Order: sequence, then C-alpha cells, then structure tokens
Amino acid sequence: MPDTPCTANEASANKPPCSPCCEKPAHLWGRRDVLVGLGWFTVLTGLLASGAGFVRFMFPKVLFEPSNTFKAGYPWEYSVGAVDSRWIRDQRCWIIREPTGIYALSATCTHLGCTPVWLSTEDKFKCPCHGSGFHRDGVNYEGPAPRALERFKIYLADDGQIVVDKGKKFIFEKGGWNNPEGFLVV
Amino acid sequence: MTGIKEKPDTEKQDLTDHIAQSQIWKSIFRHGFTDTQRNRVLQMTAGFLLHTRPVRVWTHGIRLRYTWGAGGLTFLMYVVACITGIVLMFYYRPVPEYAYADMKYLKFDIPFGMFLRNMHRWSAHAMVILVLVHMLRVFLTGSYKKPREFNWVIGVCLLTLTLLLSFTGYLLPWDQLAMWAVTVGTNMARATPFVGHEGPFAEFLPFISPSFDARSFLLGGTLVGPGTLLRFYVLHCVVLPVVTTFLVFVHFYRIRKDGGISGPMKALEEES
Amino acid sequence: MTASGTVSGTALGKAALPDKVHAWPGLLRIEGLVTLVAMIVLCVWSITIDAPLEEPANPSITPNPAKAPWYFLGLQELLVYFDPWIAGVLIPGFCILGLMAIPYLDVNPQGNGYYTLKRRAFALSTFLFGFFGLWIIPIIIGVFFRGPGWNLFWPWEEWDIHKVVSQNNVNLSYLLGIKGYWAEAIFGLVFLGAWFVLPPLMLWQKKAATNPTIKKMGIARYVITAFLFQSMMLVPLKIFARLVLHVKYFLVLPWFNV
Repeated sequence: MPDTPCTANEASANKPPCSPCCEKPAHLWGRRDVLVGLGWFTVLTGLLASGAGFVRFMFPKVLFEPSNTFKAGYPWEYSVGAVDSRWIRDQRCWIIREPTGIYALSATCTHLGCTPVWLSTEDKFKCPCHGSGFHRDGVNYEGPAPRALERFKIYLADDGQIVVDKGKKFIFEKGGWNNPEGFLVV
Repeated sequence: MTGIKEKPDTEKQDLTDHIAQSQIWKSIFRHGFTDTQRNRVLQMTAGFLLHTRPVRVWTHGIRLRYTWGAGGLTFLMYVVACITGIVLMFYYRPVPEYAYADMKYLKFDIPFGMFLRNMHRWSAHAMVILVLVHMLRVFLTGSYKKPREFNWVIGVCLLTLTLLLSFTGYLLPWDQLAMWAVTVGTNMARATPFVGHEGPFAEFLPFISPSFDARSFLLGGTLVGPGTLLRFYVLHCVVLPVVTTFLVFVHFYRIRKDGGISGPMKALEEES
Repeated sequence: MTASGTVSGTALGKAALPDKVHAWPGLLRIEGLVTLVAMIVLCVWSITIDAPLEEPANPSITPNPAKAPWYFLGLQELLVYFDPWIAGVLIPGFCILGLMAIPYLDVNPQGNGYYTLKRRAFALSTFLFGFFGLWIIPIIIGVFFRGPGWNLFWPWEEWDIHKVVSQNNVNLSYLLGIKGYWAEAIFGLVFLGAWFVLPPLMLWQKKAATNPTIKKMGIARYVITAFLFQSMMLVPLKIFARLVLHVKYFLVLPWFNV
C-alpha cells in the first residue's frame, strides 16, 4: 500500500515507510484524510438516507382498509345476558348485553390475532390457534393469551342505533374498562 | 433401426466423424469425446456450464454414504421450484379478487396446471426437508470446521432464506390455510421488542403504532389484505430468489475455494 | 493436492482408494443418476398427491385448529409455553445466530470430515438434542397431535371441539409463596440470573484449570457457548415446568414476562 498516508501513530511506530507524499511532519488529520473522510461520510450518509427513505416508502400515508365504525342496530335487538355473534363475520366483534348496559368485545385473540369462538355451553371464548380461553367479560383465564380481549368504543347515534368504533380500544390491564366510553348504559 | 446396426462399424464411425469434424459442431464443442485424460479435463473446462465444477474431485466426496447427496438435491429442488414457479406466474395474479380464482383456474381449466402447482409445492417442501438433512450431515461430519467456517454461516443464511421463501409462498393461494398461517406468523412481528407495537419496550418509542411497526412493514397495512398479498408476491418471486441464488453461488464457489468436499485426509493432516 | 497418498482409506480401515477422480465421469454420472431418481420421485408425488387448497381467505373465520406451515409448527408449539416475542422472535433469532456461531465456538479440531461420536461427544449430543428434541419432535407433535383448541389428540382420536383441558397456570414466584409485585420481579430476575450464571461458573471453577478443551476455548468463547447453551436448555426447562408444575412465567416484569 504505497499510497497510504501517514498518521501520527504510524509515523512514530516502526512500520514500513509511507509514500513520499507525506514524509513531511505528519498531521493527525492531513488534507487527504479529511477529503477521504468526507468522501466516505457522503457515501454512508447517502446510503443511510436512501435506507430510511425506503423504510418510509413501505408505509403508505393512506390505507384503503374498511371503516372502523359501524352501526349495530338498536339496543332492544339484543337480549339481556346473551353474547351476540351476529357481527362476527363482518366486523369481528361481539356485542354483549348485560342487565346494566352493552359492551362490544373485540374478537381478536390477544395472543396472535386469531378469532376465538364463543362456546355458550361452557360460557367462554376459546381461541382455536393456541387454546386461550376468556370469560364472557373478556378476561383471559387459560392458555397463552397475555391479557384480556379488548373492548371497543360504543355509543348511541342520533337515530338511536348503537355505534361501535373499532378504532378506539380499551385495554383492561391499563384500566381502560373503567372508561365510560367503553360501556353503553341503557 | 436394425438396418443401421448391421452396417459396418467403420461407416458409423465415418458418420459421427463427419458430424464431429463439421464447422458448426467444432464451433460449439471444442474437443473430442474419446475417453482420454485430456478430454476428461476439457469436458469440464472448455464449456461454460461445467467449468463451474472442479476437474477432479475427492474420491470420498462422491460417495453418497458420506454426503447423502443432500446439498445437491436441495439445489435441484430449488431449480425445480424456480422453473415451475416461473411457469405458474403466467397464470397467477397477486390480487385478492383473482388469486384464489386463478388457483381454481389452474386446477380445473389449464392442462397440467395442477401438476405444475403440485410440483412447485412439493419441491418446495422437499427443499426444506433436504436443507435440514444437509445441515445435519454437515454437522455430523464436522465439515463446518476450519477452513469452512464461513461457508457454514452462508449455509445458515440459506436455510433461513429457504424457510422465508416457503413462508412467503404460503400466502399466495389466498385460501384459509394461507390467510391464517400468515396471520399467526406475522403477528409475531407485532410482538417484536422495540419495533412491534405490542412488543416489549415499544412504549418508549412513541412513533411505533399499529400502522407503523414491523408488522405493517410486512403487511403493507394493519390487516392481512391486498397490500400483503402483493408484498409477499414480490418477496417470493423477486427479492428472495435473487438473494438466494446469489448466496447459493457464493456457497458453491467457497466449497471449491475451501478445498472441495470435506474429508478425512485434511483432518488427519491437521491432527498429526 | 497431489494424487499420491491413500491416507484416508487406510486410516479409517477402508480399502485403499485413490485420492481424487475425474469429475467427468465420476461425479457427473452420480449426480445425473441421483437427479433422475429424485425427479421420478417428485413427479410421482406430484401426480398422486394434490397440493392443498381450502376455502377462500376469510378474515372473520379462524379455522380450528389454525396451523402454520409444518416447518414452523415447532415454533407454534413453543407459543404454548412462551410469549409471542420470545417464541416468534427471540428463539428463532437465537437459533440462527447460535448456528452461525458454531464454527467459531467449536475449537475441537477432531472429527473434521468423517463420522465420529466419541471424539465430539459434547458438540454432537448438544446439536442432536437441539435438532431433534427442540425442532423435529415439536414439529411432529404439531403436525400429528394437535387438534381443535390446540389441545393434544392422538392421531386416531376424533377431534372434539368441546374438549376441556384445565389450564390454571400460576407464576413460579406464586408457587414458592412469594407475594408482592416487586418481590416477584426480583425473585424472577434472581432465578433467571442464577440459571445463566451459576452452572457455567461452577463448571468453570471445577474444570478450567484441568480441562484442555475449556483451556483452549478461552473465557470469551466459554461465556458465549455457556450463554447459548443455557438459553437452549431454558426451553425444555420451561416446558417441563409448565407441564408438571403448571408454571406460567418464571419472570414477571412491567415490560415483559418470561
């Protein structure tokens, strides 16, 4: 490597002689070092910037996904004490009518996102993927699910119908179930 | 046919000679085919395809009892999957509206369509099995040891790529099997530490959300939907095969550079 | 690279063979034959068995059981025992990195290029345990023994969707009577720390001076090997604790559980 410029360390150490261009008193940062450094800096910055640009490229600003809110009919259509599965197919959520009110439970297992099944005879939700079980209020009690099923925001529209907003989730473990928006008093 | 056999051998010799001496033949094959030492070397070196192989190989290295042939068979399965995959691309559209219908079309309306799909599927499964068997053989014979350490590392990369190729291909039929295998698989990305929105420590990175994390990077959205199908298709048909093919060639090149198929001779030399 | 010696044959007690042969026809003929047999098998397989195709994808209905492709069923099996980020991210990541590290951790020069068990007892038994015990067998369990609700069924047993298996798992700290959030967290940290530090440390103190292999490895290789080995053995430990003692977690922290 005859063209290797000398650095201060190399000049003092007993190494093979450097190229004649820098046999002058060695500087820690010679002109060539600075230019080479700038060159590498430019290349690496460019690569990093394009890498970051690519990552951003992969996240669209608009997602064409189904709307988060849907109208779930009138409160009297739901019988007290029942877990209603009529919206499972289209909206992946259960509407559960208690004596005091109504809540909407997400049908997405908190373990890996499968859709649990409501087993009315055993009074529980059971996930087919890894066997997680949930009570009717959504609290997990068996299997690998790390936390309870999520509840959705639920409210009455002006026309008296129930509206479920799946964009707003209430998580039991974070105290979300105490939020009045997650429980429709009727 | 029998008539030709009855002709004297000299005349047949003359005919083959006539072809082998022609300008066209000699422009393609630059050597003869009589079994001589010289021709055995030329057969390997004169053409493009075979020059990638060594002229002479270790005797133990061609014994199936030693190699199980697993590495070569893995490559064969990869080639079969590539060829059948390219053929299937003529009929497959990576859009939810069409993908499943194209599967049915392949099955019922396209001659040999189902056969090619089966061949693609089973060669991919065989490739996964064989790559595991190959790794087992290489470990049992200690072939990852000096000087072949880095080739083992490349091999581990290829094992990972094989699994990724299989997994991305699994979504493309767009049936229930595909949908839920990929839902379960990509939901693990959701739980990745730091970069998954439900993973540990994600709460310390405020910009991580369901629509901006490791999972939506794979899915192109928050659900397994049209974006996911297209992304997996591009990964399956372009990105992963290109990377895999490149690494396969590095893997093969290094076998030769590291001294050919591993064998007991070198080991005994080093130990003594 | 000379073709003179016949060391290999005689040293392994086999008939003497020449060191090298011409690739043409020696190697290429075998490759051609193997290719032919493999292609015949693949064609017969493709003619007789159709690739599966189920109903069109439907995000609202999860098939029961929902199984990953067979080569990932080992990981799906681990999902029963570990949280998703461990089973799906950490363990596969450790597998890949650990496999890559093997050639740099194994300092034993013996057994390079031939089959031997007794010259590489530790390396082989560890690898074979990981390969078959933690990879192949979980795949077999996942493929043949898991049914609805991810419950265990015999292959010949009818799948009962309503099969009830009681799974009331508790944390290890609770089993040992440790109460209180931070007490449990500290217990978990101490337990896992002891698992990773104590056995390797005891082995090092006992053997470092005398065992030539450990001496040759040096401290850095030893620490990495021990860490990877203990990580691997944590998997069967957790499975054992879950199945026998019904332990849910060893370690419970505000951010993650193990």
